[in-house]
Amino acid sequence: MNTDPIEQKPLDADIVCVGFGPATGGFLTTLTRGLETIDSRAMPGLPPQVLCYERADDISFGVSGVVTRARAIKASFPDLDTTEIPMAAPVRDEKLVYLLDPHGATRRPALMQFADKVIEALSGLLRVEHQGFAVPFCPDFLHKKDGFIFSLGQFNQWVGQQVMMTGLAQIWPSTPVSEPLIENGKVAGVVLAADGTEVRAELTVVGDGPIGPVGRRLDEIVGMPEGHKRDEWAVGMKMVVDLPEGVDLPEGTVFHTLGYPEPEIFGFFYVHPGRVASVGIFVPSWLESPVRTAYRYLQHFVQHPYIWRYLKGGRMRSWGAKSLLESGRRGEPQLAGDGFARIGEGSGSTNVLTGSGVDEAWLTGVQLAEGVLELYREGLPFTKENLEARYVARRRKSWLEAEGQIAEKARNGFQRGVLQGFLGMGLAGMTSGSLSVPRPAKDKTPGRLEDFYIGRLTRSQIDTIRLRCELESEPLHDALMDACGWPKIEYDGQILVSHQDALLMGGKVQAPSEFPDHVVIRNEHVCDDCGEKMCIEICSGEALHIAAEKPAGRPGFDREKCVHCGACLWNCVHENIDFCAAPGGLHSAEN
Amino acid sequence: MEKILVLLHTTDEGALPKAALETIAAAAVIGAYDLGVIGANAAAAAQSVSAGAAAVFAVEGEQFAQSRYATDAAAAEAIAKASGAAVIFATGTMRFNRALPGVACRLNGACETHIVAIEPDLKVHRWYYRQRMEATLSRAARPWILLLEPGAFESAPAAPGAAATPIAVTVETRTTVTGYHAPNADQQTIRPDAQLLLVAGAGWTKKQKDGATHTPEAAGLILNFVQKTQSSLGSSKSLVDLSGEGQSVLPFLSHLHQVGQTGSSPRHRKGLATCCHGEEPHVVGWRFINDRRAINLDAACGWSRGKADVLYVADSFEVMRELEKLL
Amino acid sequence: MAYQIIVCGGLAPDPLQTLEPVTTPTGPGLKNELMLPNVFDPWAGHALYEAANLAKNQPGSTIKVVSLGPKAKLQQVMMTVAQKLPFELIALDGPGGGFTDAVSVSKALADAIAAIPGFDKSQALIFGGWESATRGAGVVMQMVGERLGITEQFLAVDELTVDPDGALVIKERVEGGKHQISKCAAAPAVLAWATGSLPEPPNHPQTGMANMRVMMPALQKAKPTALDPAAIAYAQVALPAVTRQTRIVKDVPAADIAAEIAAWIKQ
Ligand SMILES: Cc1cc2nc3c(=O)[nH]c(=O)nc-3n(C[C@H](O)[C@H](O)[C@H](O)COP(=O)(O)OP(=O)(O)OC[C@H]3O[C@@H](n4cnc5c(N)ncnc54)[C@H](O)[C@@H]3O)c2cc1C
Ligand SMILES: Cc1cc2nc3c(=O)[nH]c(=O)nc-3n(C[C@H](O)[C@H](O)[C@H](O)COP(=O)(O)OP(=O)(O)OC[C@H]3O[C@@H](n4cnc5c(N)ncnc54)[C@H](O)[C@@H]3O)c2cc1C
Ligand code: SF4
Ligand code: SF4
Repeated sequence: MNTDPIEQKPLDADIVCVGFGPATGGFLTTLTRGLETIDSRAMPGLPPQVLCYERADDISFGVSGVVTRARAIKASFPDLDTTEIPMAAPVRDEKLVYLLDPHGATRRPALMQFADKVIEALSGLLRVEHQGFAVPFCPDFLHKKDGFIFSLGQFNQWVGQQVMMTGLAQIWPSTPVSEPLIENGKVAGVVLAADGTEVRAELTVVGDGPIGPVGRRLDEIVGMPEGHKRDEWAVGMKMVVDLPEGVDLPEGTVFHTLGYPEPEIFGFFYVHPGRVASVGIFVPSWLESPVRTAYRYLQHFVQHPYIWRYLKGGRMRSWGAKSLLESGRRGEPQLAGDGFARIGEGSGSTNVLTGSGVDEAWLTGVQLAEGVLELYREGLPFTKENLEARYVARRRKSWLEAEGQIAEKARNGFQRGVLQGFLGMGLAGMTSGSLSVPRPAKDKTPGRLEDFYIGRLTRSQIDTIRLRCELESEPLHDALMDACGWPKIEYDGQILVSHQDALLMGGKVQAPSEFPDHVVIRNEHVCDDCGEKMCIEICSGEALHIAAEKPAGRPGFDREKCVHCGACLWNCVHENIDFCAAPGGLHSAEN
Repeated sequence: MEKILVLLHTTDEGALPKAALETIAAAAVIGAYDLGVIGANAAAAAQSVSAGAAAVFAVEGEQFAQSRYATDAAAAEAIAKASGAAVIFATGTMRFNRALPGVACRLNGACETHIVAIEPDLKVHRWYYRQRMEATLSRAARPWILLLEPGAFESAPAAPGAAATPIAVTVETRTTVTGYHAPNADQQTIRPDAQLLLVAGAGWTKKQKDGATHTPEAAGLILNFVQKTQSSLGSSKSLVDLSGEGQSVLPFLSHLHQVGQTGSSPRHRKGLATCCHGEEPHVVGWRFINDRRAINLDAACGWSRGKADVLYVADSFEVMRELEKLL
Repeated sequence: MAYQIIVCGGLAPDPLQTLEPVTTPTGPGLKNELMLPNVFDPWAGHALYEAANLAKNQPGSTIKVVSLGPKAKLQQVMMTVAQKLPFELIALDGPGGGFTDAVSVSKALADAIAAIPGFDKSQALIFGGWESATRGAGVVMQMVGERLGITEQFLAVDELTVDPDGALVIKERVEGGKHQISKCAAAPAVLAWATGSLPEPPNHPQTGMANMRVMMPALQKAKPTALDPAAIAYAQVALPAVTRQTRIVKDVPAADIAAEIAAWIKQ
């Protein structure tokens, strides 16, 4: 065998996929099952050459809930045995829990405060326990009964192994794709970030998730469909906890929570086999706080008496964070074009009303694969027209589209206020989307600190905190939350640990040295006049920080701490951050 | 009781390494033993410590004076056969770590290395997963060669005894040892026998309060300290890794200095960490260092959380400058 | 001189993972061992990069990697390693992990090497890590060498060069931060590597794809390999308990701290 490195030349394949999440999992599972009898068009005589490039260092390093109804996943694996997949379990007991505010530090609208009082007064009758009120029924649109609990990492790993062992597709971890390869107005493949290798393929499948650079670049090139926008986001942050001895919640237990740590923040608690739980929160873009910080909020969430009674004495095994694109159908891009198709969350599949993205993403992958197999069998090319007829049309006819339409307006209300938000969600959910709260002319954006804290902190209090934090190169959120009455976090070294320890203990975050920084500030001068510095406040890894070595106020970036959550991308209101393709980040396979 | 053989080698100079007496002491606790020594001046060296041994063997001669697999393995095999021992206690030096596992294989036996404790019933203790967990184990296979980690056992005083029976061994090898490569003597900064380990972390090369780096001064302070106190120098991974990236770094550091999960776990009585954050992958390398202090600007650094006995929240530059005056 | 370079390398948990021992029906293991992400053993990795470098300088040389581990994990790890450099994989499907018996591991590896079609001992350089990141024993390579009848062996190698006359010049780590330099007239030899001096090669997608075309079939038909589960009797495996009461000295002049440290050093 020749051991000289092979010289740099374009790679030829039939199909190249970007990203390995549930969407690509569904695609490759379905595709490889039908591929054996088909001839490659790039290399006749062989089966089609299918390559998938995943940026993370292992295909098991994703972050998600996951509780899912798994309708599409079950259709792919009718005999799915959850014991084959570590951390998987059927859903058993599902509750929607309204969490009261134990400290009086959250910003609850007056009406909500009143409702809290009523709930507290009737606590015996309503069976309020540990400051949580389990809503007597889990609304139909939210339930996941008959579904599964997964660790996304373990699920992806399991799917990846099945796909790889067919020998009909290769999934390459640690290989970020920098951009689509465009030729003559068509997508002709992809460009790999490491060394600029071009991978040419007749079809490029873009499943790079909510913040993928390839999907975003395509949006720039081909434009978004009329009226479509990606403007609703959330940071999902979670930890996986070894529950303490004596906590015997059955596996499959699911709590969805609302009301705390802020009324806009939804939470979850799922129990995996072996006394392990996933707990986390979603900090949405319509929480106008300019210092929204998922890590601090997560620490308060896990300590809510309703949750803490189960977690106290347990130990964090894993931790992670990632952005969710919550615009759903409103954020749907051009789903297909000449030589490419979009699947998964980046294609607008995630349903915010049902709180579900994994199964939806999977389904889009399945639908595309079915279409592709048809086109192969009929000898037709992967043109926009053909992909629309075989993939997009399938998608339009499925439950994904129907439910997506219901969800489309479900969260408009949050752009007006918390109560309107809940009202809107309820209306849309109960009436299958016929009724909804209209969206205001202008969406909510994070305000200035001074405005946000009116009535709670004075301008001079804020100024003092600012000055102190600047001196100590600390972000503002902790100091501001302390000042507003949030209790300090007492580290226990087990679940309550410093943010940096969470990166190491839970996230096992690592960064390869040979890549350039993937978070790039486009114009540092813009930062000089940026009062809020949301990028620093939101950063899930404290990777963006106040840099003592830079001119006052310009953020520094420490790649070794970046978890690739993508939150900085949508939190910089000045659109001054570029988030590029790179490997590294979380090295936990349990999230 | 099973028959024990204590197997030792001499240094190039014909003396027994310090750890030899530890191996003898460890075996003596378990039971009666034979003694075998390999290397330059082996017979005399054997006699100098043979008081407690039942039988004494030596393999010496020019060929065996050097540390080399083929010759060491043949010599060890010959002594093991002459003694017929079921359990062989040997010193876990690099020389024996290289040679004896293969000997175990030759004799159809087994071999354990890096042993840190031995129970009377021959259960041995050793670490797994880069020093992250300690196992207690035993084996039925014989002969069983146990390589004892230097520094892990108490040593016994040397007591001379009977003369050694020389064993003649012939072996062919294609390897010749041509010498050693050592860093320049006054740049010698790794001293396994030193009382104190000084660890330098990446902070030494970072921008300091005045916004500038002071790497040359750092180099001077560190080297001066190490020479004056005759301590051994260790480093964090971040600091030695810098050398590869074209940054101004400390010229006397190499990967051999790295302490930690992917570096070494040296044995010294005391350790002082400077400008090092005390991250877990680094601190696991301090497993065998009992008395630990650290100087760091950050009161919340890893050392503060139960990893050091004392954390001085201070500027290492300032403290080391002051120390320079005192030492 | 063209060498047949054979690199023995196993798998190890991704280094930052939290490891905890548990007892399983087949002896000690790691908690959630199935879920732990794995990497190619870092020391064997250094050996592999050195092998690539040697092969580049010695035209005609070949590299084969012999790896024993659970098939699914091997497949996963190879997706990264295969992108680094061209080599052929000989996969043995069997237990991985630190608590397995080194003697039986060495037998499995030696048997696999001896069975390589065209294996020519006179050209063989058997590479590996000087110890594994799991067992940390540093015994397998010597035993493999013995079983193959190769008695020119080197441990903790940091450098290998080939003389103009074809002799191997080898630097091994010895005590005190020094290197011992030896000259071995010719192959065959066993070299168990420490860190060497080469950085990890960047990923190279073409190489990966070319490698995988032959590796996937090798993985699919990886030979089931059993080790002797009764060779070692483990009485206990435990994590160390190591928390100290840290005394934090703050807001004290540097001179006072220096004085305290100086006194402590002299103790
Ligand atoms: C904390 C949290 C909790 C959640 N809970 C639930 C839940 O309970 N139920 C549910 O159904 N959904 C949940 N979701 C949403 C769900 O995880 C997503 O909708 C789903 O994972 C989307 O799948 P995908 O395949 O489209 O994208 P992703 O899972 O995002 O996968 C995209 C992949 O592409 C890779 N990639 C990105 N860029 C590149 C590039 N340039 N080159 C190569 N690869 C690239 C990424 O690394 C990633 O692996 C949750 C999400 C979060 C963050
Ligand atoms: C797989 C893997 C294996 C690893 N193995 C090892 C290993 O074997 N060994 C190892 O060391 N690391 C290892 N690490 C890396 C480890 O996690 C840390 O990144 C590393 O130890 C940090 O080195 P440091 O503390 O020197 O640097 P930093 O983390 O950069 O810390 C520098 C410190 O210097 C302090 N400082 C700066 N200036 C001053 C001053 N004037 N006075 C006092 N203090 C000052 C700062 O407060 C800071 O705490 C490994 C990591 C991985 C991922
Ligand atoms: S990157 Fe954006 S949010 Fe961050 S400081 Fe600059 S302008 Fe402000
Ligand atoms: S810098 Fe990294 S960790 Fe921080 S917000 Fe951006 S992507 Fe997330």
